[in-house]
Amino acid sequence: MSRPVLVRREQALRGGQPLSFAIGLVVALTIGIVLLLGAGHDPVAIYERMFVAALGDPDSWSVTLNRAVPLGLAGLAVAVAGSMGLWNIGAEGQILAGAMMAAGVARIGEGWPGPVLVTAILVGGVVGGSLWALGPAVARSQIGVNEILTTLMLNEVALRLVQWLIHGPWKDPDSFNFPLAPMIPDHGRLPTLFGRAHVGVIVALVVIALFAVAVNRTAWGFELRVAGSSGATARYAGISLERKTATVLVMAGGVAGLAGGIELAGTADRLTEGISNGFGYAGIIVAALALMRPSGVAAVAVLFGAVQIGGQSIQTMGVSSSVSTILQALILFGAIGAGVLSRYQVRMVPGDPGDPGDPGGDGVQVGEAT
Amino acid sequence: MSDIWKRFPGVVANAGANLSVSRGSIHAVLGENGAGKSTLMNVLAGVYRPDEGEVRVEGVAHRFRTPADALAAGIGMVHQEFRLVPSFTVAENVVLGAAARILRRQAIEDEVADLAEQFGLATRPDRPVWQLSMGERQRVEILKALWRDAHILILDEPTAVLTPAEADELGVVLRAMADAGRSVIFISHKLHEVTGFCDEATVLRGGRTVAASVRVADTDAGELASLMVGSSPMTTERPPAHPAGPPLLEVSGLSALGDRGLPALQSVDLTVRSGEIVGIAGVAGNGQRELCQVVAGLRSATAGTVHLAGDDLTGASPRKLFQAGLGYIPEDRLGVGLAPRLSVVDNSILRTYEAHRRGPFIVAERAEAHCVDLVERFGVRTGPLDDPMAGLSGGNLQRLLVGRELSGRPRVVVAAQPTRGLDVQGVKAIQDLLVEARDEGAAVLLVSEDLDELLTLADRLVVMHDGEIVGEFDPTTAARSEIGEAMIGHGAGVGS
Repeated sequence: MSRPVLVRREQALRGGQPLSFAIGLVVALTIGIVLLLGAGHDPVAIYERMFVAALGDPDSWSVTLNRAVPLGLAGLAVAVAGSMGLWNIGAEGQILAGAMMAAGVARIGEGWPGPVLVTAILVGGVVGGSLWALGPAVARSQIGVNEILTTLMLNEVALRLVQWLIHGPWKDPDSFNFPLAPMIPDHGRLPTLFGRAHVGVIVALVVIALFAVAVNRTAWGFELRVAGSSGATARYAGISLERKTATVLVMAGGVAGLAGGIELAGTADRLTEGISNGFGYAGIIVAALALMRPSGVAAVAVLFGAVQIGGQSIQTMGVSSSVSTILQALILFGAIGAGVLSRYQVRMVPGDPGDPGDPGGDGVQVGEAT
Repeated sequence: MSDIWKRFPGVVANAGANLSVSRGSIHAVLGENGAGKSTLMNVLAGVYRPDEGEVRVEGVAHRFRTPADALAAGIGMVHQEFRLVPSFTVAENVVLGAAARILRRQAIEDEVADLAEQFGLATRPDRPVWQLSMGERQRVEILKALWRDAHILILDEPTAVLTPAEADELGVVLRAMADAGRSVIFISHKLHEVTGFCDEATVLRGGRTVAASVRVADTDAGELASLMVGSSPMTTERPPAHPAGPPLLEVSGLSALGDRGLPALQSVDLTVRSGEIVGIAGVAGNGQRELCQVVAGLRSATAGTVHLAGDDLTGASPRKLFQAGLGYIPEDRLGVGLAPRLSVVDNSILRTYEAHRRGPFIVAERAEAHCVDLVERFGVRTGPLDDPMAGLSGGNLQRLLVGRELSGRPRVVVAAQPTRGLDVQGVKAIQDLLVEARDEGAAVLLVSEDLDELLTLADRLVVMHDGEIVGEFDPTTAARSEIGEAMIGHGAGVGS
C-alpha cells in the first residue's frame, strides 16, 4: 500500500506563486460552476460579466486599480512588518485612524489651495496610521507585548472612534440628522488619471516600490531581514532589535494610514465607518500571497482587486451577495491552498497510514491512497 | 531495546544502540551531546520509529507508532521542555487529555493530591501552572505520566532546569518510585547525579552503546567519564607548536548568569596569547557556553572584565567586539551564527554589511564579490549564491561561517563546538582553519566536548566545572583520566 505525503521542497519552486494563483483560480472557478448552477444561474454569463467588470476595458481597469490601492498598501503594511517577523494585524484600524486624521486635516485646511490640501490630507493619513501603531510598537519593543493582540484590538477602538465622530462632533448639520460626516472640499479630492483611477494609484505604486527597494537593497532592509530570520542572529550581527521593531511597526502603520487618506480623498469623499471595508484584513491575505515580500504586494493586490470588483458586479445580475462572496473566498482559498505546492511536493511513499513516513519530521500526511 | 538504528538526513543518530532496564531501578543513560541519548529515548517513547531494531516491554515486542502507543505499554516521558498549559491548574494539566468525562474539579484535585502524596511529590493541585517554579512544573509532568499509569518513566535531562536543592528532592522522589516497582530512565550528563542516585548506567557514544547496564556501585565517576569521552576514531597529527606571543584575550574575575537566571559562570580568569590555542574541556553545561557568549558580547557579565589586546571591552556590543578583532564561531550555527532563510550572499556579509554600503544601499556587486571570495577561499560548496543558506549541508554552512569570521584576520577567535556534527572531512577543514589562524598570530579560544580534538589542537587545556576553571593541563603530557576527573569536579587538577 502506498500513500501520498507532502514533502517540503529544499527550495521553493521558482515562479510557484503565480502558478499556484492560476491553479487556485481554475479550481475555484470550477467549484463555482457547481455553485452557480445550483443557485440557478448561467455560469458562463456570470464569469464573463465578472471579467468584463474587472478587466474588460479601461474603465473597469480604473475601478480595479482604485480598489487595488488600499489592498496593496494594507498588504504592504503587513508585509513590511512580516519581513521582520512581526505580525501587524492592525492595518484595518490604522486605515481608519489615517482616514480620521485626513478628514481632520480636510476640515482645517478647507481654505488651502488644492495641491497643498491634497498633500496635507495624504500626510495626515500617514501620521494618523503611524500614531495608531505607535502604542503597539512601543509596547512590543520595550516590554515585549505581543503585537498581534495589541494591533488587532486597536482595530475595534478605531472603529468606535470613527462612529463617535460621525454620530457626534463631525456630524454634517445638513445631513437631516443622518450620521454622516460632511463631504471633503472638492479641491481636496485626488486628481483622476483616467476613467475613475485617481493619483492614489501612482502614490501607492511608488510607496510599494520604495519599500521593496528598501527591504531588498538597503542596509536597513538587510537588518530587517536578518531580524526576521532570527532575533539571536540579529543580535550577533550587531543589530539593535528594540529600535528596529518600533520603527518598523510605526512605518507599517503609516503605510496603512496612507491608504486611509487615499480612500478618503480618492473614493469615499467623506469619513464613513465603512471607509476601510475590511481592506486591513484583506491586506493580511495579500501579504501572505506575496510571501511577505513587499515586492510582490502590488501584483497580488491588482489580482485581488479584480476578484473583488468582479464579484461585486455580478450582484446586479441577481446573484446574491453571499454567492459572490463565496466565489471570492473560493478563489483566494484555492490560491493559498495551491501555494502549498510551491513549497511542498507530493510524493508517494510505501507504508501504512499512521506511519509518519518521513523521519525528518517534515512530512505531512495528506490522505490515504487506495 | 536491542540494536536500534535511527537515521536522519545526513546523520546516523543511533547505530545499533542497546538498552536494558530492570524493574524497580533507576537507570542512567549517559553520553555527550549528540551521542544519541535523546533519539533513543524518543524511539522508546514512540515519538520516533526506529529504522531497525526491537523494543520489548516485559518480554513483549512493540512497534510504537505514537507516544500514545508507548504510553499504553506503560512508557511515559518527561521532556526537557515542559508541555503544560500555563493557565490551567496542576490537576487540570495532569488529567488533560486523559479524562474522558466531564471534569469535576474537586474530585480530580483530590485524586491528584492522593497520587502526589503516594510518591512524595509536593504539589498544590489547585494552583495554575504559571505560578509554579520550574521544579514544581517538573513534578506536574511526572504526575502526568504517573496518572497515565506509566511503569517506565523517562526523564530527559531533568536536572538541567533545577536548582541543586530541587535536584536532590527529585532524587528522593525517583527513589520512591523505584521502590514502588516502577522503572526510571534518567538521562543526564552530570555524573555526580548518576553516581548519587542511580542504580545502573548505560553509556552511549556516537549512537552506539559502549557500556550496558553497568552497576553504579561497581564503578566510579572517573570511569564513566572516560567511557563517555572515549577516544575518537580520528587522530589528527598534532600541529607543530608555536611560540606564544603577548596576551590578546584576558578574562578576569568573570561571572555571569545562565539562561534561567542561575549563576553559570563564577569568577573565571583566563588568558589567551597570540599564537596559541587554549582549549576548554568540560561536560556540557558547566559554563563554557556562557563564557563564550560573555566574551562575544551576547551575554552580560555580572562581575569581572574582558580585555581584548589590552582594551577593556567588557559589555561591548557584538559588533564593536567584531570590529575590535574578535571572531566568534557560535555553538548554535543556524540559530545564531547564520540566518538560514537569507541568501548565501546575505549570510557572508552578516558581520560586515556596513562595509559594503554606499549611502543607504548595500552594493550588491561588492557583497557578491565578498561572498565569492569566501566561497572560493574556504572551499564552500553551494548552489546559486542567491538561494537560501538553509540549502547547504552542515559542513558547508560551517565553512562559510568560520570563513566569514576568520576572513578579517581577527586577533582573537572564540570557537564554540566548531566541529560538532560535521563529517570527517568537515572536521579536518575547520580544525585546519583554526590552526592556520593561530599560526598567523591569532589567540584562539576553543571550546569542545571532543577531548581528542582538544588534546590534538590545544596548546594549553583548561577544564571547566560548575562555572569555574578547575584545572589547567599541558595537552602533550596530561593523562586523560586526570582530565576526566577534573571534568567531573574532583581530582588532582582541582587547585583553586
